[in-house]
Amino acid sequence: MPGRQLIMNFPVTATSHTLADYVARGGYQALAKALAMTPQDITREVVASGLLGHGGAAFPVGRKWGVVKLDDGQPHFLCTNADEGEPGTFKDRWILEHAPHLLLESMLIAARALQVRNCFVYMRGEFDLPYRRLAAAIEEAYAGGYFGEKVCGSDFACDIVIIRGAGSYVCGEASGLLSSVEGKRGYPRNRPPRLTVKGLFQRPTVVNNVETLSNVAGIIRDGAEAFKQLGKPKCPGTQLVSISGHIEKPGVYEVEYGYPLQKFLFDDCGGITGGKKLKCIIPGGISTKVLTAAECEPLTYDKESLEKAGSSLGSGGMIVIAEDTCMVRLLQVMLRFYHHESCGQCTPCREGMGWMHKIIDRIVAGDGRREDIDRLYAISALNDGTTICGMGDAAGYATVGILNKYRDEFEYFIEHKRSKLGGNLEAVHA
Amino acid sequence: MPEIFINGQSVQAEDDETVLQAALRTGHYIPYFCWHKSLSIAGNCRLCVVQPEGKNWVEIACNMPVSEGMRVLTDSDIVKKNRKATLQFITLNHPVDCGICDKAGECTLQDYHFEYNGERSISDVPKVKSTKYVELSERIVLDNERCILCSRCVRFTREISKSNALGIKQRGDESLLRAVEDGALDRDAYSDNVVDICPVGALLSKPFLHKARVWYLKPTRSVCPSCSRGCAIDIWHRKPEWKLRNLDPKENTAIARVTPHDNPEVNGPWICNKGRDLAQIFERARADGAMLKGKPVELSAAIEMARRLIDGARQRVAIVSSWGSNEELAAAKEALAGRFATFFKADRVAEEGEPLQDDLLLRADKNPNTTAARTTFGDASAAAPTFPADTDLVLVWGEGFDFARLPAKARIIFLGSYLAPENGHADVFIPISIQTERAGHYTNFAGVVSGFEPCFAKAPSVAHAEAVFASLAGGPRS
Amino acid sequence: MKHLIPEFEQWKKRFPPGFESSLVMPCVRRIQEDRGFVASEDIDGLSTYLGVPRIQIEEVLSYYTQFRRAPIGRWHIQTCRNVTCSMRSAERLIDHIAKKVGVAVGETTPDGRFTVSTAECLGSCGTAPVVMVNDTYHENMSIEKIDRLLDELK
Repeated sequence: MPGRQLIMNFPVTATSHTLADYVARGGYQALAKALAMTPQDITREVVASGLLGHGGAAFPVGRKWGVVKLDDGQPHFLCTNADEGEPGTFKDRWILEHAPHLLLESMLIAARALQVRNCFVYMRGEFDLPYRRLAAAIEEAYAGGYFGEKVCGSDFACDIVIIRGAGSYVCGEASGLLSSVEGKRGYPRNRPPRLTVKGLFQRPTVVNNVETLSNVAGIIRDGAEAFKQLGKPKCPGTQLVSISGHIEKPGVYEVEYGYPLQKFLFDDCGGITGGKKLKCIIPGGISTKVLTAAECEPLTYDKESLEKAGSSLGSGGMIVIAEDTCMVRLLQVMLRFYHHESCGQCTPCREGMGWMHKIIDRIVAGDGRREDIDRLYAISALNDGTTICGMGDAAGYATVGILNKYRDEFEYFIEHKRSKLGGNLEAVHA
Repeated sequence: MPEIFINGQSVQAEDDETVLQAALRTGHYIPYFCWHKSLSIAGNCRLCVVQPEGKNWVEIACNMPVSEGMRVLTDSDIVKKNRKATLQFITLNHPVDCGICDKAGECTLQDYHFEYNGERSISDVPKVKSTKYVELSERIVLDNERCILCSRCVRFTREISKSNALGIKQRGDESLLRAVEDGALDRDAYSDNVVDICPVGALLSKPFLHKARVWYLKPTRSVCPSCSRGCAIDIWHRKPEWKLRNLDPKENTAIARVTPHDNPEVNGPWICNKGRDLAQIFERARADGAMLKGKPVELSAAIEMARRLIDGARQRVAIVSSWGSNEELAAAKEALAGRFATFFKADRVAEEGEPLQDDLLLRADKNPNTTAARTTFGDASAAAPTFPADTDLVLVWGEGFDFARLPAKARIIFLGSYLAPENGHADVFIPISIQTERAGHYTNFAGVVSGFEPCFAKAPSVAHAEAVFASLAGGPRS
Repeated sequence: MKHLIPEFEQWKKRFPPGFESSLVMPCVRRIQEDRGFVASEDIDGLSTYLGVPRIQIEEVLSYYTQFRRAPIGRWHIQTCRNVTCSMRSAERLIDHIAKKVGVAVGETTPDGRFTVSTAECLGSCGTAPVVMVNDTYHENMSIEKIDRLLDELK
């Protein structure tokens, strides 16, 4: 186990996702406690815990909650982000399939803290089992009196609805998500105003990731101090890491922050497939900057360490890349993805994604030109901080990260009209 | 009232303004595509960027609320570089259609390219191809390749005309402006405003398509006579210096198109589609010769005969035009008061199926100067005309009156602009000028007075009604 | 879609008042589940039922990749072609499926049995390569497994 566990701390069985099993594990005790606390006290506890968002931005959760003005006479909303579209990421799915009640209990606590009457879970449309599990859990929760007019018999009322997406990556962006919940195209919005001031249908709304929220129940049940015992001072707790790619034992692992990265990769996850050497990793979903094997060596898995190395935690979707993988072809797959997912609203992303995709397609087809590398840098720079949402920036980071570390492969491809590594993406052929 | 600093200069901003609004209002121009003063903020073109002083990034100004002490730069090197790049992006897939595009000469993208970019494209990848000449409605044609997806047109149909007739389908650089599939755009009485607000040549007016280059045309300020709202308009016609001799002379006196003239007091920046079709009213066959019972005579002879008929009559009734200008109505009053029982009429009424009135611009009264007619001649003049048994003279001014209602024994003086059978039946027929041939004012339903200027010269054989009434004014009152 | 309205009315109970527009996504999905695609009269019906402009529904249908306005094959074979899946043989899998089924990616077999397409990341990278058949994820796929799967799908 890569450190201590807060979420994946029970054996998965045929029934471990059910209400009965969850209660037997101590479930819904935190809710009982929260119902006896004031909204302000709940938020205070979350602030004290130092909990950071697990959706990619690592924003302090308590601070986000604190922006919502209580008792302002208007409805507030809580939307859980279960869109999980960042390539390489599949950890929220684990919670939805195996610990849906942990999420629901945490949402109820958050709803109480934020004076929310109506909760939404926005789940990507492709998820089938996670949807059925969560939907069943919601019915169990209603039947058990955890949702409805009187939550656990109290005067706190709360309803919940799942809105399923239908195939759009930017619906994982908080404001794009809300546009979709509103029944429209998943168009992200400009800020100001912040969503915590004007969100869903212009009402104060908190959007939190599945995993982020799932930490709340534990924080309330055991207290902020207990939570801070795990991880590191500025990065407390754990991260559900989805690890995939050229790794022997891919899957979801709960990693305590501060855990040595090498140990995680080579002990817990079994090292590289095919007996190959590690080339690099993409630590947190393709929108984070790639780290070479050498850069990975001294790192611990936490916010500070990864940021100091020039990357970030991101969504916790770690992709492991073995030697002999052609980074040009890898970037091609990523740019095709960003091009496909651009919502098309704003100029730099709409035009820039297509442009970058066409350039890299040309390089891979053997028709690359000298200026192409600089052009890719320029387009990335012009998407940095100039777009409505972070997708433009993300494509830029992915591109710049790979270009910075593997420029030689691109230069080779352009000059020799073919890949240095045979265009290979696989570590072992099946 | 926060004080902000634009390029180091102090600017008094309004409380709820954005930096863009404050800058434009105080003469600090910031270029923009998607923003429009009458529409919600979209913030998608990313052109209106400013640099917060002391920072090394840019932000869009259209969505930046002003705050006390804020300092921004609108023309720094960073801003210039970013703007240039944004224009590179916008023209990345924009077709070089200027040579065949109606918008050339009044195209924001052309103007901005000259001003802020001025360089050829740095792209060497093929442009995205898309649909061209899409008939969005019977009046509007769309070229998706030219469209920069600013969404102004979509917001117009959601927020102003409320037809919800336009939307953007698909996504990314395959996004396509499209009309809703149930034909609602054809039923949107304000649809053509999207052609005005489109910053490029994506949305074009079908009636105007390829008719004329805008730099050969000049706009003359006028007032739309199609209803009692009296929207301010520009009537576009060939510049005098471009009256080409080998063209059909009619081209030199034709209305090329009609667009709104922004008048915050009356119509803002919008007009309805009917106003755009004024040529259908003004370019009907004209009456250009005076007649006495159908026999052509000189204008002066007709006016002389009219004067004689008036002097010799006992019981006179006048039916006055609600399309007469304030000036013409005043002259008519001088000529008719004390001698004629005067009524005014609705020269035109709504056609079958025509929208009557709404809470945007349309008024049920399809005449421009009912208000002035009523105030000039009194409330009683609004009633349907009654003819005393011994009526021996009726003066009819303008169209829309059913001559069958006239008493059989009365003599008729008819002042009209267009060819009509009645012209030949009148004892005296005097051809008169139309709105585009003179200056004048109308008073709209709310009492607002608006002025129009002449676009064309009238034919010499045609009279101005004001002059005719002045001629008829002198004479014994009995 | 009118026969689905009683179901929609039940859903409404857990939504806040005035949230009709929020029902667009769930209702469209249910209509598509029922008919196999969304027809023009469904758009009219839903627009009237929810009181949202028709254009909003048309936009939604064209924006999201999972919604369709025309029927497809009985079995929709979608192979993820994103990063991890490509690193674990997805590209070869996609070529193989297209060849075996006999249509190009994006097309439907003449007998209406299969529609072959690609998908972006399905959130199952740990069990790459992943093939989604209608609603179900088939994980840890290989050419042999896909052959067996396709043969079983009538």
